[in-house]
Parts: sequence; C-alpha cells; structure tokens
Amino acid sequence: MSYIVIEGLHKKYGLTTVLSNIDMKIEKGEFITLLGPSGCGKSTILRILAGLTDASAGKIIIEGKDMMGVQSKDRQVGMVFQSYALFPNMTVKENVAFGLRMQKVNIAEVDQRVQEMLEIVHLSEKANAYPKELSGGQQQRVALARALIVRPKVLLLDEPLSALDAQIRKKLQADLRSIQQKLGITMILVTHDQEEAMAVSDRIFVMNNGMIAQSGTPTAIYTSPESEFIANFIGHYNVFTRQALEKMIGETLPKEYSKFAIRPEAIHLDQRQGDVCMTGEAKQSLMSGNVIRTTLEGECLFTMEQLHQRGRSFELGKKYMCYVAKEDVIALS
Amino acid sequence: MKKRGFADLFFLLLVVYLVLPVVATMLYAFATNWNKTIMPEGLTFKWLATLFQDAEFIQAFGRSVLLSSGAVVIALLVIVPAIFVIVLYFPKYEKWIQMAVVMVYSFPGIILAVGLIRVYSKFGVPMILVVLGAYVVGILPYIYQGTRNSLRNVDARQLLDAAQLLGVSKLQAFTKILLPTVYPGLFAGALLSFSVLFGEFVLINLVVGSRFETVQIYLMKKLNTSGHIASAVVLIYIVLMGLLTFAIATLTKRSKGATNL
Repeated sequence: MSYIVIEGLHKKYGLTTVLSNIDMKIEKGEFITLLGPSGCGKSTILRILAGLTDASAGKIIIEGKDMMGVQSKDRQVGMVFQSYALFPNMTVKENVAFGLRMQKVNIAEVDQRVQEMLEIVHLSEKANAYPKELSGGQQQRVALARALIVRPKVLLLDEPLSALDAQIRKKLQADLRSIQQKLGITMILVTHDQEEAMAVSDRIFVMNNGMIAQSGTPTAIYTSPESEFIANFIGHYNVFTRQALEKMIGETLPKEYSKFAIRPEAIHLDQRQGDVCMTGEAKQSLMSGNVIRTTLEGECLFTMEQLHQRGRSFELGKKYMCYVAKEDVIALS
Repeated sequence: MKKRGFADLFFLLLVVYLVLPVVATMLYAFATNWNKTIMPEGLTFKWLATLFQDAEFIQAFGRSVLLSSGAVVIALLVIVPAIFVIVLYFPKYEKWIQMAVVMVYSFPGIILAVGLIRVYSKFGVPMILVVLGAYVVGILPYIYQGTRNSLRNVDARQLLDAAQLLGVSKLQAFTKILLPTVYPGLFAGALLSFSVLFGEFVLINLVVGSRFETVQIYLMKKLNTSGHIASAVVLIYIVLMGLLTFAIATLTKRSKGATNL
C-alpha cells in the first residue's frame, strides 16, 4: 500500500463542486506537486489532508491509517502557508519550539532540536528576532522550520513561495528540494507556477476544474501533454486544429484527433530528414532571458523559441520556412 | 508663500478655538479669583483639595468607574467571543453585527432613555442595571471594530490553523496564540469604550437621575454652586481622558507594529 492514499475525494460547497473524484497515491519520501490555475481545488486537497476542511466524500489514508474524522492536531501533518502564519508575539526560536513545547518535550531536547533546525534553514543568528524583523524569505524559512521540527508524516506547502520575489523564490526552491532530500520527508506542494513545479517535484498532478487532468514526472508531463489544457498550461505549446495544421504542413494527420500541439523549441530553421515544413511570416520577436521567442503567421499563428546564443535573427515581415520533426507533433485527446 | 501664511493663520485660529476653553477651564480650577482681570489674580490648589476631601465626589467618581468598567468587562466577556466566532467561522453573519453597530449610532440618547424607561420600569428591574445593559450595547461599535481589526491584521484564521497543526486544540490555539496577539487591539477598544462611558450623561441622568450620582451628574450639580469646583472636576476628567488616550495611542501603535508581517 502506498504511504498516502487519496480515494474518490469529493468536496462541495453548497451546489458548487470544488473537487471531483480525486484519486492519488503517494510514496514515502516523494516530492509531489499539485499544479493548476487559481480556483482549481488544489489548496482544498491540502486543507482536507490537514483536517482543516471536511471532505464531502472519499477517503484519506496516511501510513495505513484512515484520517477521516481525525482532528488536525492528531494527524501529524505539517503545513506551511503562503502568508507564513508565524506567531507575531513570539521570537523565531519560540515559533520553532512551539510544537515541541505543546508536546511537552523536555527543555534540553527542545533547545537542541530548535538549534539543529535553525541551522538547517540557515537562521541560527536570527533566533531571538521577531517575525516582523525578518524578510519574507526568512519568515518562510522559520515557517518551514516550525513545521518540520515536529517531524510530521507529510509536509504540506500551500503556495509557500508565491509572495516572494523571483530571485529569493528560486533560491528557496533549491533549498526546499535539498531539505526534503536530506530529511527524506514526504512533501506536497501546491503552486500555480509550472516552472516551480518542474524544478522541485518527483511527480506532478496537474489539476483543472476540481479534477486531475494529468499526472506524471515533470519530463513526462512536459513532453507528452494529454490535452489542450495541459499543453497550454505547461510551457508555451502551439496548439492547432487538425485542419489548420494539415493545411500548414501539407500532410494528412490521424482523423481521430482534433487538436495537435508542438513545443515552440521543437521548431527550427534547419531542415533535417523526416521533418515537416511550416511556412510563416515573422510578426514579432521578443527576447526573454536566454530565449528568443518569435511569432510567425502561416495558416495560423505559431511561436518558435531559440536559445539566444544560437538564435538566428528574424526580419519582421519576411517569410521563413520552419521545420519540425514528425514525432514532435503531439496529438491531443 | 502667501497661501502658506493664510494656512498657518487658520491653523493657529483653530488651535486657539479648540484649546482656549480647555486651558481657561483648567486655569479656573487653580484660580483664587478671576472675575475682573484677563488672567487669574492668583493660583491655588484649594479647589482640587476641596474636591478630593468631598466624599460625595469620591463616591461619584467610584460609581462612574464601577459603571463604566462593569459595562466594559461584560462587553469583553459577552461580545468579544461572539465577534471571534463570527469573524473567524461565520463571516457571512458579520453583516448583522454591522447593522447593529449602525443602529447604536442612530439612536439619540433621549429616545433611548424614554424607550428604556417605558419598557423596563414596569418589570421592577433596577434601572441602573438597565443603564448598564444599554451601556454594554452602546460600546458594541468600539469593541467590534477593535476586535475585528486586530483579527484581520494578523490573519487570525490562519494562525489558528497553524497552531492546530502543531498539535494544540482550538481552545489552546485561541488562548496561547490568538488572545496574546490581538490583546493590544482589544485593550485599546476597551479603554476607548471606558472613556466614552465615563463621560456619558444623558442616559444615566434621564433613566436613573441623582439616585446614582456619577461624576457627570456631580459636575452638573456643582456648576450651579461653584465654578471653581466644577472646573476642578473637568480638570480631573481631562487628565484621566488624556491618560487613556495616551494609553490607547501607545497600544494601537504597538498593535500595528506587531502585525506588520
């Protein structure tokens, strides 16, 4: 049996269905991400796992124990919130020690474990500071330490990095992954940032409208989107109707599929054997960090991405022959 | 430059308009004689000393403190838990409290007094208890605002969730986390309510009258007998209110600082 099992989870608020038939199996030590747009129900799953919200139907089993009806305080589930939720009347040290003090752990052990935990999150020198004296990134580290110190069976992270600026977010993503691997703890992250999900996860569950749209490893999700929603949500896929793409490449496509997707980086300007050709007029070229993103118009608009260093410059208004390998044309269900 | 000069002049006039009566009253409380001169002829502590030697004043002061603080304590015990539950768990019912708050402001004292007398006088309920009850309802706006703002500033629901996930019950989370966090805001609301009730005159005078003499009724009486004693009462009232205002300002500042996450 898996470490965490979620079976047939439903949640309704009045007549509105928030979660519908959610099934998940998570193994011990996995880093799982629930990825999806706002309002898709991903945070509700976390709250139900934590016992902060009741499910309308379904089962949650953690380490073989049915959690339905078990109070939050008895679930041994940790949680880190987007707004940190640090206790403002307590210092960093007191915040981190709170869970252990409530468990009546002896003072010497509390001190030792707090010290260890603060070292892990690199905040030893801030032990006596109050939350308001810390930066957002530091506050989130304290929240992480506070949740981890009680050694929860699973740590839930509800968009913990979304309130931070890009640079700190990237640093904390790496820290989060390294702490998770070091402690071997099972973590479930909720985010709407697909890059963040790709960077830290062992597996991703992409959610839409209260249902799981697709699950798998980051590579599998990125390279093999199963639906138009996934293709649009993950990366900047070009999605075409069958008719439009057939016209553009001059080849017949399988009739059982109505939509097809092509990754923008799979489109290139040099012809290789077996490639299909797409012709388009350059409309716009934007540099986004190390990538040049060019929009071309053929039968319909499509975008191609080239690494900045290897990129060829486009003359706007001029027609270009672009190529893509047949296996990179992905049929969507 | 000319505009600035006018602004300064108007500001100065406003300050004089607001401060002059207060300063004059305070000076009058120390004046030996102040009838035909611009400034008092001499200064004395005689009126203050007389006031503090008057058992009637001490009793009136005690009654005011008792009545005001009693109403505040009851409000804290009854209204605050209700606001906590509604704001945290049933926010859709908050509109009813807001409606009650508006109604408190919309009732003039005289209407309220007549209503209370007509309804409660036939039941044999001591009218001082009726006034106490009316006071508890009357300070609802201050207690409600203070409590609600404190809870919202700290994202109280999430603090409760975080505490529960660390292994404490809802009640423990409330007493160990929420109460110490929102305490400055609550205390500021309580002090504000106390100062409003301490200065209340209409209701107590009309419903109970001199049977339960408070500082305000005592002051009214003294206005007819000694202007100096009446000024001394006002002086003490102003000092007390000044101290309460200072305490509220300090607490509000601390409360804001504590929640600036």
